[in-house]
Amino acid sequence: MAEIEIIKNFKVMNEYGIHARPAALLVKAAGKYSCDIFIEKDGNKVSCKSILGLMTIEGFPGSIMQVSALGEDAQDAMAEIEELFVNKFYED
Amino acid sequence: MAITVKELWEEGAERLSLRIIAGEKYLENSLPEIAMNRPGLALTGFFQYFANQRLQIFGLAEFTYLKSLSVQKKEQRLRQLFEQKIPCIIITRNRRVPKGITELAEEFKVPVIQTPMVTMNFVNECTVLLEKLAAPRKRIQGTMMEVMGIGVLLRGDPGIGKSETALSLIERGYSLVSDDVTEIRRTSRGRIVCWANEVTRYHMEIRGLGIIHVPSLFGVASIRRETELDVVIDLKKPTGEEDRTGVHPETVTFLELEIPCITLPVRSGRDMANIVEVAALNQKLKELGHDAAKELDDKIISRLTKGRVRRG
Repeated sequence: MAEIEIIKNFKVMNEYGIHARPAALLVKAAGKYSCDIFIEKDGNKVSCKSILGLMTIEGFPGSIMQVSALGEDAQDAMAEIEELFVNKFYED
Repeated sequence: MAITVKELWEEGAERLSLRIIAGEKYLENSLPEIAMNRPGLALTGFFQYFANQRLQIFGLAEFTYLKSLSVQKKEQRLRQLFEQKIPCIIITRNRRVPKGITELAEEFKVPVIQTPMVTMNFVNECTVLLEKLAAPRKRIQGTMMEVMGIGVLLRGDPGIGKSETALSLIERGYSLVSDDVTEIRRTSRGRIVCWANEVTRYHMEIRGLGIIHVPSLFGVASIRRETELDVVIDLKKPTGEEDRTGVHPETVTFLELEIPCITLPVRSGRDMANIVEVAALNQKLKELGHDAAKELDDKIISRLTKGRVRRG
């Protein structure tokens, strides 16, 4: 399988933005895949596998995040991360 | 938990300087109420309300009152007292046993025990002992350590490295309470106290070495008789499902009390003792009211939601 890169933009739709709990969900999801996954916002790019990185990215409610995945399983990884964003990180 | 007079006798004979005067055969009597009663009022002939299921303590007051009665009255009242199906009589201050008590004890199958202690001191000491005896208790699997005053119970599947982690902690100067099998009881203050089984106390089994005796190898500072449980640490093979923030800690329930529980994934080359040490320190910090994970999360949430307001 070839190396593929996928880039997608997501809006942060939960009430509090990316705080500890959503960050932990993202890290757990990303940790399952071998591909490199990054989240970028306002020129700041952090690994989606770093919890402290995600906490510093200032994922305000309503802000747009660019997620990039590079590697063999990028497709699956992106699907799972998309699910988290779309479902507002399963928060009310 | 109900106990028998015998359990009190076995545990307290030395500490409370107990001596059996009569009715030794009846030590198996159960003590339905784990408490003491001064039967002074009953001796005056008032039996409408009498805590007959408790230990009956004869102190100075009871003796002085009995002395004031005629021989006939005294015998009658004592008989009435015994007729109430009392579990045990304890006579303090080594007073001479009132006449007839020995016979009544045999007749009504009640053990009579004497102590040289002053009543007040006896009652205080005995309360502590009774509470300990009656506390709910259990035997659980796990290695108990004390790390900087924090009681840490290490659990995990056989071979995951509980004893090895404990050994590293001992080498760092912390104390072993029990290895692999830990006895626990719940105190009235709502804490769990852990100690080791009498027989195997302070021994450890290290794979490849066999049984070792910890204080002989590491000195008496490396052991502790009992300690309160503050945090449970489960050593597990990595699953990828571990807690990454610690904002919502897990708990386990022992004897109906909830204890914080941390799951640590064990990977080869990871210094588990170091991580357990930090976990204990972090727990200590939380008990002092400083929860780092939660504080950071609150800080981030407050920044994030301020941002929302700014953006309109």
